[in-house]
Amino acid sequence: MSSSSSLTSLLPTAARGLVSSCRSALRPGPGPLASVVSTVSTFQQTRWSSKASFKRVKSQGYKSKKDKPKVKGSKKGNKEFKQHNLKDMEQFALCDAMRYIRAFEVGRQPTVSKYELHIRLKTKRDGPVIRNLLRLPHSISTESRIAVICPPGSKQEKEARDAGAVLVGEQEVFDAVKGGNIPFDRCIAHPDSLEALSKAGLGRFLGPRGLMPSAKTGTVVEDVASRVEMLRGGTTYRERAAVIRLPIGQLGFSPEQLRDNMRIALEQIKKDAVAMNDRIVKEIYEVVLSSTNGPGFSLNGEFKSDNTPDTTGMHGP
Amino acid sequence: MVNIFKRMRKLKTLLNVRVGTGAAVFPAAPSATQEFPAITRLHLTYARKIYGGHQGARHFWRNCLPRLKYHNPGIPMTVRQTEDQDGPAALSVYFAQQTSPIAASLAAEDLKDAHAPAPAAHEQVAVLDVRNLPYTEIWNKVKNMTGATEIPATAAETAELRKLDQMAAKSKVDRARIAAKRQAKKDQERMLQEAREQVARLKQL
Repeated sequence: MSSSSSLTSLLPTAARGLVSSCRSALRPGPGPLASVVSTVSTFQQTRWSSKASFKRVKSQGYKSKKDKPKVKGSKKGNKEFKQHNLKDMEQFALCDAMRYIRAFEVGRQPTVSKYELHIRLKTKRDGPVIRNLLRLPHSISTESRIAVICPPGSKQEKEARDAGAVLVGEQEVFDAVKGGNIPFDRCIAHPDSLEALSKAGLGRFLGPRGLMPSAKTGTVVEDVASRVEMLRGGTTYRERAAVIRLPIGQLGFSPEQLRDNMRIALEQIKKDAVAMNDRIVKEIYEVVLSSTNGPGFSLNGEFKSDNTPDTTGMHGP
Repeated sequence: MVNIFKRMRKLKTLLNVRVGTGAAVFPAAPSATQEFPAITRLHLTYARKIYGGHQGARHFWRNCLPRLKYHNPGIPMTVRQTEDQDGPAALSVYFAQQTSPIAASLAAEDLKDAHAPAPAAHEQVAVLDVRNLPYTEIWNKVKNMTGATEIPATAAETAELRKLDQMAAKSKVDRARIAAKRQAKKDQERMLQEAREQVARLKQL
């Protein structure tokens, strides 16, 4: 309180109004403050408005802000993501987590609600990230519409059509996109069409949606047809802030189906981590099972625990 | 990923799925009797908005169904939300072989739930009219007609519930305290800002 009253003594008479506009919590009492303000004469007003006093007020006002960047700096100095001690976390067997999640998701469409897997990695803040495609043994069957950009009349065009792409060709795709009509949510290009693609200048339309084909994301490929099939049945995933999140199953899946999917996904992610540069070490730190409407359950790697009930009926709605 | 303590705090809601209204086990095939046959399925239909007496049905879904699902993981439970506000709010209970005698007296005979799945050959359906009923009453009816055995909270669970209540009360107090602190800080900053403007204006004169 003493600091605030010394501040108010710095104020000119005109500040009286705004002092009263503040909450009473700031004021020790109406008596002493009013007297302080009224003793400031007009002469003092001009004196206090000199640069020196302004600086003083300023320095007091910004003191807290000046401290902040320092704290931030020390945080940024941390090269690795913070790892919490998992001893503090309650962990669940897969079937127990599923039992809870199915309770949280009761009444939802079993094909609409999805199980999600969140994989926390032990990794550095900078450096390359894991991103790849994955085909799960039990398909999550999210309807994805795929466009393929390849030379018209080529062998790839026919194959892509057979694989189930909705929009195939060069000029057709470009016209559709430029017309503001994007009837697909994935886009693949054949290397032969790359030149035409860059000439068409689609980056402005596709870029913000993350649909622009590029070799980096694995959407510029020779074998267009197999990639289309892969995309239709599979999922893409990438690491963001040391976590890989991906859908892993429909709510109607049985524990065995979910276990198979998880096994494949984790194996592939481990392979991705190993396949990176020698100097980059990534390890799986924590695996969390969540769902569309449910909370996240940290898994302990077990399939069943002692108090898991019979799991034969744990599928369907 | 979110801080581990926040996640742990959120997981405390699991307790609400284990205990409370609707935490009960339905008779299954081994424990079924002539009086209370096994339950094979539940289906709830109600309208999207609450007027017209659809509130209780929605609350039943929100409060009781998760607990029932947790304690009876093998029983399929489906919910259908309709747009038809004048339509029925109905809870269909599917019994194996035949309905219980009490169910026959409680069930609405003329009520037809078009959205409920058709019963299999070995199933019989009792449809409850749940319009204008609070969810606790719906639960009482369901309990009576199915002979479900309620699972009481254990001593550890009641202790934890009490602790959570205390935490909730504490956080209410803390919220008010922190809000006052933040407001005081904001007031002071605004005052300084206004004073600075005042000084600048006087300097221009």
